Amino acid sequence: MSILINDSTRVLVQGITGRQGSTQTHWMLEYGTKTVGGVTPGKGGATVEGLPVFNNVHEAVKETGANASVFFVPAAFVLDAFMETIEAGIKLIVVVPENIPVRDVMKMRGYAIDLGVFALGPNTPGILVPGKGKMGIMPASMFAPGRVGIISRSGTLSYEFAGILSEKKVGQSTVVGMGADPVVLRNLVDILELFEEDEGTDAVIIVGEVGGEQEEKAAGFIARRMTKPVAVYIAGRYSPQGKRMGHAGAIVRGASGTVPSKQEALRAAGATVLETPIHVAEWAAEHNLS
Amino acid sequence: MRLHEYEALDIFGQNGIPVPRRSIAESVEDAQNIADGIGYPVILKAQVLVGGRGLAGGIKEAASPEELDRVWEELFSSEIKGYPVQKILVCEKVEIANELYLGITVDGYSGTPVIVVSTQGGMLIEEVARTSPENIASIHIDPSFGFYPYQARALLRMLDTKPQLVTSWTGVITRLYNIAMSYEALICEINPLVVLPNGGLIAVDAVLEIDDSAISRISFPLPDRIDRIENPLERRGREIGVTYVDLEGDIGLIASGAGLGMASTDIIGQNMKPANFMETGGGITADLLYKCMELVMMKPDLRAVFINVYGGINPIHEGAKGVARYIKEHNVKIPVVAKALGNRQEETWEILRSAGIHVVTEAATEKAIERLYKIVGRG
Repeated sequence: MSILINDSTRVLVQGITGRQGSTQTHWMLEYGTKTVGGVTPGKGGATVEGLPVFNNVHEAVKETGANASVFFVPAAFVLDAFMETIEAGIKLIVVVPENIPVRDVMKMRGYAIDLGVFALGPNTPGILVPGKGKMGIMPASMFAPGRVGIISRSGTLSYEFAGILSEKKVGQSTVVGMGADPVVLRNLVDILELFEEDEGTDAVIIVGEVGGEQEEKAAGFIARRMTKPVAVYIAGRYSPQGKRMGHAGAIVRGASGTVPSKQEALRAAGATVLETPIHVAEWAAEHNLS
Repeated sequence: MRLHEYEALDIFGQNGIPVPRRSIAESVEDAQNIADGIGYPVILKAQVLVGGRGLAGGIKEAASPEELDRVWEELFSSEIKGYPVQKILVCEKVEIANELYLGITVDGYSGTPVIVVSTQGGMLIEEVARTSPENIASIHIDPSFGFYPYQARALLRMLDTKPQLVTSWTGVITRLYNIAMSYEALICEINPLVVLPNGGLIAVDAVLEIDDSAISRISFPLPDRIDRIENPLERRGREIGVTYVDLEGDIGLIASGAGLGMASTDIIGQNMKPANFMETGGGITADLLYKCMELVMMKPDLRAVFINVYGGINPIHEGAKGVARYIKEHNVKIPVVAKALGNRQEETWEILRSAGIHVVTEAATEKAIERLYKIVGRG
């Protein structure tokens, strides 16, 4: 079992004719993902990697039965494509591109949540279910099938954790990139809840980073609801912080956002705090997760 | 992109928010001419892009031309939190009856703009948030519903604001909200928003940080983004399209993502010192990594370079060619350690090894940094 992607997931690739769209479509197909077609306005009728390309999402959904979509659309066109995709009835959207204006993301997020669409990103590597399929850019060689769920704010660190576990024969149920932007389309808590309910997941790793308050809010959920073991790594302890001026953020968040504040909140909630990534191997051994 | 105070004050003023008489000076002669026009006393404010400037001594008063000379000398030759002062704003001194706070930012968790106000503005506003939160009120704005002045009035009611202040303050909040939206601000702030003895309001300071991802579609004229990065290495990073942050150590870093870069600096920092933070994002090419090597190597007294990249969206075999070319062309003598995993990893390792790079094939960054540590030692 897994979360978000299952046997009935049929994936559409938006921006499929671009360099990244076509390359990643190749890797997704090679990984066994049920990828059914693509959309690039103005390129309808073409084929990429043997898949049909459509001019718009409605047509693609009608012709292919797609129910999920992954975006390799240029940042400036993402808002428009996103709204079109929701209107076409797709309920799972992965937005890979970075540099999307925050104002656009706020609109997308509000609309998706109101309409019950599960969207991830922007600036996410996507979702990968080992041995089954993937939506996004995660490199297949890092992953192995198993029962540990991973949620990561950073793309590259999700690969790092999966890689360390896979080397120790600890497989993953699903690996989810939340997106690394200050505003994301779904918060950490919502993904954590899916893992808590998933029968194929025995334990969860959260890979967070300095800034924002996703991890602090997750701590509340872990304390109240989570029955499965959770391990957490927070990147950025010695990292330079943006020389942020202005107080509004600090006033709203209070002490939230620093590495110690996140670690403290999560430890108090019963999660295991990993000081560096390699310690995840010991944690997995202690919990017999291989 | 953060604007300087003087640039933000211009924008606030053009949009109907009362601001003091002022002008920007780059020489003491400029400053004297401006002060003569405004009339003494004047306030001199160092223009550096860093918070806490007042507490760090970057704001001073001059009551006479002689004092202005002296204050100018002090400020202009100084550094505020490591930033050299190159421009000074000469400002009218306003009579202060009371200091308020008004800020608009993006709340990442709710994914909405949030407006924050306080009746106790000034340099210690974050202290107020901790010790007397009842003096601070905030309201989240649903982006699809938009902002209406009644929301500002409701906000001010929470603070028991005097009725005569509510109308003028609501006006300032409304204008600042409009500025925040049209300039796609991540932070838009007035601290302090001064209450004059006659009850009027005036914005004595201004903070405006614009969303970098939105700059290309903002229709108002803006200063050049790259020009204002003061550190030459960081400016070069922006020019080639990577994030580079200059640090004090001697181990150079190239990472292919922010999280991986942060974890790398965290681990290097355990027993060595990173010379920089660098992350390329998803745009790796042979040419980009050649330029990244060039940039990292600009730092003097470097002892080693650590490369940590994943081939997900990035063609790391291409990147490896750029690194190898740099090393050969420049006859690099210091050790280079690389961890490169993902799509086409074997091909990548081959290219890196042929350039004399130590390649680590395990997933954990710790293992690669242990190897690096063994090679360079404690130094």
